[in-house]
Amino acid sequence: MNYFPDEVIEHIFDFISSHKDRNSISLVSKSWHKIERCSRKRVFIGNCYAINPERLIQRFPSLRSLTLKGKPHFADFNLVPHEWGGFVHPWIVALAKARVGLEELRLKRMVVSDESLELLSRSFSSFKSLVLVSCEGFTTDGLASVAANCRHLRELDLQENEIDDHRGQWLNCFPESSTALTSLNFSCLKGETNLAALERLVARSPNLESLKVNRAVPLDALTRLMSCAPQLVDLGVGSYENEPDQESFMKLMAAIKKCTELRSLSGFSEVAPLCLTAFYPICQNLTSLNLSYAAEIQGNHLIRFIQFCKRLQRLWILDSIGDKGLEVVASTCKELQELRVFPSDLHDEEDNDTAVTEIGLVAISAGCPKLHSILYFCKQMTNAALITVAKNCPNFIRFRLCILEPNKPDHTTSQSLDEGFGAIVQACKGLRRLSVSGLLTDKVFLYIGMYAEQLEMLSIAFAGDTDKGMLYVLNGCKKMRKLEIRDSPFGNAALLADVDKYRTMRSLWMSSCEVTLGGCKRLARNAPWLNVEIINENENNDVMERNEEDEREKVDRLYLYRTVVGARKDAPPCVTIL
Amino acid sequence: MELQFTKHSASESSVNLSLSLTFPSTSPQRATKQDWPPIKPRLIDTLKGRRRLLQRDYDTCLFVKVYMEGVPIGRKLDLSTFSGYESLLENLSHMFNTSIICGNHRDRKHHVLTYQDTDGDWMMVGDIPWEMFLETVRRLKITKPERC
Repeated sequence: MNYFPDEVIEHIFDFISSHKDRNSISLVSKSWHKIERCSRKRVFIGNCYAINPERLIQRFPSLRSLTLKGKPHFADFNLVPHEWGGFVHPWIVALAKARVGLEELRLKRMVVSDESLELLSRSFSSFKSLVLVSCEGFTTDGLASVAANCRHLRELDLQENEIDDHRGQWLNCFPESSTALTSLNFSCLKGETNLAALERLVARSPNLESLKVNRAVPLDALTRLMSCAPQLVDLGVGSYENEPDQESFMKLMAAIKKCTELRSLSGFSEVAPLCLTAFYPICQNLTSLNLSYAAEIQGNHLIRFIQFCKRLQRLWILDSIGDKGLEVVASTCKELQELRVFPSDLHDEEDNDTAVTEIGLVAISAGCPKLHSILYFCKQMTNAALITVAKNCPNFIRFRLCILEPNKPDHTTSQSLDEGFGAIVQACKGLRRLSVSGLLTDKVFLYIGMYAEQLEMLSIAFAGDTDKGMLYVLNGCKKMRKLEIRDSPFGNAALLADVDKYRTMRSLWMSSCEVTLGGCKRLARNAPWLNVEIINENENNDVMERNEEDEREKVDRLYLYRTVVGARKDAPPCVTIL
Repeated sequence: MELQFTKHSASESSVNLSLSLTFPSTSPQRATKQDWPPIKPRLIDTLKGRRRLLQRDYDTCLFVKVYMEGVPIGRKLDLSTFSGYESLLENLSHMFNTSIICGNHRDRKHHVLTYQDTDGDWMMVGDIPWEMFLETVRRLKITKPERC
């Protein structure tokens, strides 16, 4: 290959888009490293503190698309303080300064400010796509700058962000000349929406394929939007508490009938069941359905709708669908690849008869041969069911089971669920992500270490007996990248057994475990290439000044990750980097 | 479901009992924050809303009779499905095919909505908070503009 001129090699590299492959290419030789890095357009950074923007730009001068992730995963569940970090601002400043031709920015769990968005909107003239997932720190004013200044904006996708809604006119800020939009998602905005501005924007965006509106867009507005965008492929519906009258309903149905390209439906928070039925005309075309916010729609309505959705590949739903509902899914949705069942009753107040159990899970595994990803919240499980599921579905890539009550055993035998999960990891040779729950001993981790050869991400809560459990995993799972553990009895022995293991992992999270300050300090000393962060929301945060006795004090939250740029300088007082 | 206490401190008594009754949280500082089960804030908010709706169902279904002056046959409406005066008025306007307003903005053109309360008195709709209105309303009447 070295006899080819560089341009030819670069052209060949153009066909290789996966990050993993490109990373491998860059390790082959110095010349390949150079060609690869100079031609690399898309970079994925799983931990924004593993590297800094200056080094990124130095290595990849032709960068066009950047993905950055900030806070650790458990931040989604209130386990990480808001001020922990993950600020995107320094990245945007550096990229702007170096005049990188940035076109795409995708951020997850990062802190974004209006100032950052304003700078972004003014610094990159070819900017096309902004995707923010689970971010916070900005307001609709920031969105207004993006709308106003990004002349070539095609995609603005806001998923599950905490956005301060100033009820301004951000939608009005899209210039009349802006006609390139292909995707607009503002479903997480909590305030009013300027309906007229939205309708005008949609009307002048002939390439709009994905539109997800927020709660403030009522039925009649939705009807008008769909009428001027029959080309929509992906629709997120707003909310309307009341039953629509006959006329509005007929108009909505007529508009929906024209949307023959519609394949994906979501939204439906606070929606009267009748509104769902308006979508009957197109439901057999749907490949993706997200009704996980449709808390008002009861199981029987859901079932009636889903029984027509024969082409469904992805289904996100609440457990109010019940085992009966899942049996209907199993017999109808033969193309199903991904299923997520979320809990609808957090305080255990309602009749348990309608929630899902192991019966629903087994039915799905038996009926859906293409199923490879599942997230399942339920109140009870059995080993027998898990063993059956493993036999029915050896193709799982992601298997996440969350039994709502911690430490709950197999409800028919009162035993731990070690054997059930053991069966899953043994059968599913391609398993990359696993979350375990229920009563579990060290044995389940022995199985995981032994069989889960492809496992990259493992989430553990209220499980295990001794350090051995964690050690089985660290020693056995060669491909482990992210390990997150909470409320489990793992301590210093497991943490310190093989420090070099953390070189091969992106990060480790341990909260409410048995690790002590002394153990963490020792780890930090032995591994200077790790950032070992202690998160402590107490008053007295000056950890270093405490006396020696406190070495035995247990650490509330530990987050460690490999990095090439040393300790970060933006940590708040509640975070100590050892 | 058992009530679980951790070894930490007596501050457990200030813990949100509805959470610790079902799911143990092991740190007193975090006890008041929802960190189990592992679901995202948007879903938690959605479910809180649902709980409110269900509680409304457990109370009475608020069906009241609605008459339009001059029309002998009335309608029945479930007030518990509305979020406030605005949505009530919107719906009534649709139902009776005329514009209806609350007492504050009277003029000769629009019908005005009035209600009979638990004392038997006829009152203007809109003066009291919505929740209070739901408690005291017994029937509704849409009156001709000049009457008020």
